[in-house]
Amino acid sequence: MQKMVDTTLPQTVRVMFTGGFSRRYTEGVREFTVQATTVRGVLSAMDALYPGLGEHLEEETSIAIDGVIHEVVYTQKVPAGCEVFFIPRIEGG
Amino acid sequence: MTTHQNSTKAMKVVGTSPVRPDGIQKVTGVAQYGADYSLPGMLWSQILRSPHAHANIRSINVEKALALPGVKAVITGKDFPDHKFDYVGPERVAVNYWHMTRNIMAREKALYEGHAVAAVAASTRAIAEQAIKLIEVDYEILPHVIDVDDAIADDAPLLFPDMITRGVEPAPSKPSNIAKRTEFKVGDLEAGFASADEVVEMSFKTAAVHQGYIEPHACLARYGADGQSELWSSSQGHFVVRGYTAKLLGMNLSDLLVHPAEIGGGFGGKTVVYVEPVALLLSKHTGHPVKIMMSREDVFKATGPTSGSSMTVKIGVKKDGTIVAADALLKFQAGAFPGSPVMNATMCSFAPYEIANTRAIGLDVVSNRPKSAAYRAPGSPISAFAVESVLDILANKIGMDPLKLRLKNAVKAGSPTSWGPKHSHDGFAETIQVLLDHPEYKKPLGKNQGRGVASGFWFNGGGESTASVHINEDGTVIIATGSMDVGGSRASMALMAAETLGVPYEMVRSTVADTGSIGYNHVTGGSRVTFATGMVVVDACNKIIDELRLRAALMWDVDVTGVIWEDGFAKPADKSVGDFEPLSLKAIAAKRAVTGGPIGVEASINAGGNAPGFSTQFCDIEVDPDTGKVTVLRFVAAQDVGRAIHRKYVEGQIQGGVVQGIGWALNEEYIYDKNGRLSNAGFLDYRIPVASDLPMIEAVIVEVPNPLHPFGVKGVGEANIVPPMAAMANAIYQATGCRMTELPMSPPKVLAAIDAKNG
Repeated sequence: MQKMVDTTLPQTVRVMFTGGFSRRYTEGVREFTVQATTVRGVLSAMDALYPGLGEHLEEETSIAIDGVIHEVVYTQKVPAGCEVFFIPRIEGG
Repeated sequence: MTTHQNSTKAMKVVGTSPVRPDGIQKVTGVAQYGADYSLPGMLWSQILRSPHAHANIRSINVEKALALPGVKAVITGKDFPDHKFDYVGPERVAVNYWHMTRNIMAREKALYEGHAVAAVAASTRAIAEQAIKLIEVDYEILPHVIDVDDAIADDAPLLFPDMITRGVEPAPSKPSNIAKRTEFKVGDLEAGFASADEVVEMSFKTAAVHQGYIEPHACLARYGADGQSELWSSSQGHFVVRGYTAKLLGMNLSDLLVHPAEIGGGFGGKTVVYVEPVALLLSKHTGHPVKIMMSREDVFKATGPTSGSSMTVKIGVKKDGTIVAADALLKFQAGAFPGSPVMNATMCSFAPYEIANTRAIGLDVVSNRPKSAAYRAPGSPISAFAVESVLDILANKIGMDPLKLRLKNAVKAGSPTSWGPKHSHDGFAETIQVLLDHPEYKKPLGKNQGRGVASGFWFNGGGESTASVHINEDGTVIIATGSMDVGGSRASMALMAAETLGVPYEMVRSTVADTGSIGYNHVTGGSRVTFATGMVVVDACNKIIDELRLRAALMWDVDVTGVIWEDGFAKPADKSVGDFEPLSLKAIAAKRAVTGGPIGVEASINAGGNAPGFSTQFCDIEVDPDTGKVTVLRFVAAQDVGRAIHRKYVEGQIQGGVVQGIGWALNEEYIYDKNGRLSNAGFLDYRIPVASDLPMIEAVIVEVPNPLHPFGVKGVGEANIVPPMAAMANAIYQATGCRMTELPMSPPKVLAAIDAKNG
């Protein structure tokens, strides 16, 4: 399943969730296309779809932008057409 | 031995191995560890611990203890503020302060032998020890459960009668000891296995093992009459100690100053608090500083080991070696409170391999054991024991070299992961190839000898760090971070600073600042410090270079754009700027007052762009067929670290991880009696490897730089502990024909397997 957020920003990115996360927060939908240029924009777009989701994403996840792992930081740029995959935040030893 | 890939420009100091700045203090005994701190008027604390694995606490009578001369206070769980039952923070390590405060000190129930139930502060340690024996606890002993498979049985005694498994929809109607279920799945498992030429399914068990740090937990606390308080504590993160302690006691962070004591090993086990809130609360009650030192027995009975497990893994391959499907069920002991690293294990299980169809299910299971804590690549070594053992069997079945099987399926940049996103870095295949080319890999073996290989994956970390750089009045440099120095990070920070500034390493002093002197730093763990804190040190150095250029411009009466920084000197950008002699740090520092005052900057970061670590290892062992004793003859461990900043410490990290893996493989385990009491709570009976047990471990540093770090760093501290257990099991199989499926592979177990095979 795929959902599109309607905004006026020209650039789209593909947002992906793990199965467990999507079952908990997005009614099982794992893939979205949103318009955003930064991680803040992605969070806002997802929060508009599922109110309160943005906070869960900030607290619980890291992101893989085309596979490169980043912490969730508002100013992080997301290139046009990239995949933004929210994954569980990992802590090591 | 080192292999380089895609090396960038030549470094002057990065990659060298200077003497560590804290080395002399540590080898001469001058360095201050948690137990070394004292204050005037200091009291000693002892903690009373439950002798029972599972018991209701009906009442605690402290009157006799309080009446003992020299006793100043006695506290129990009820003296701590209670907390809301709520999981907060990242899913894998979600913190529930309702649980945490009950682990610090039991309230309604004692959930494992060694669970703290009361604490005394007294004028001497002897009086405190005497006093805890006078505390009367009325226990109602309950049935207990230790083993993870027993704990999920329908008739298992429940630790929490209202625990409903999270991660299952619809939610179960009955409570159980399964705190949480995790699943990652891609592709079509059934179709994948149907396409396989060979399928192997096998079950494994691993024992809980302790991190085995030499220094027991210790702290000194002083609660001020005005609420302003201090802690001296050995930990892997004094900011996290501050956060947990303040939260548990209901304090503002700004009222608690935590000083970073030196640390005698942590390996993940010192990322949480045990004694700090107890000492601080006792200090509040008495008005005196209070010191707590755990004994080794306390460490074993009351601090986190990593999980023991029960696992089933099924993998299918084609005759050409292509892995077509893989499935894992991982059941991990969490200890008495939820929070095993099973989610990590589900993600790491098949991470090194490009497999179209995978599923990994993880169960986080509570039982009457101390709560698990992080241990070096938490979770990954456990699942790797099962996965890498099954791969070895499959390699034998299809007649393929086990390294070549791994190489054929190795992930690279662009490969899918089993948890969703694509891998974004190379480095794994390079660790395999370097071993295939290793001269010892093809060397013939003798009688009763075997060679085993295995690989492993760890994410490595980024996250929040802060650093400051100051140019002293004489032009020398001080850098400070809030990252505890566990593995030589003072030296690696100084090396990166010296390289960035273009000055000799000896001009840079690197320190670890307390929580009041620098911004937040997350724990020293997750193989994150050289990457993330190193990144912010470089940021801070670049900022101070801009400031130094500005000061030089003022001295030359030119615009700052006309000044460049090169090899440790400010220089005119070109001849049009003017004919100026280059200015050293010393020359600029001498003019600091007239150019604006002290020269210093602080920088902060939430570092991203971290790249994972892969390790591939082989070992040669010999099995004594009469005793089952395994002797390690050779161990070669290759690891992609991105770039080695301090070469000797990188080798040391690789060797250390392998040594801990050898102990995990051969000897280490928690042995419980029928009453749920630990029988081997000391290093005489819980046997970690010593030097005489080990060969020289050859560390092969593979460097495939991370383009998102200024020097290419990925991380080194953890991936190395992932392969050894499977590599040893695979070697034992080659030596004996016996497939060992339980850790540890101690002499009695190996001998029993040999006897069973021989009928």
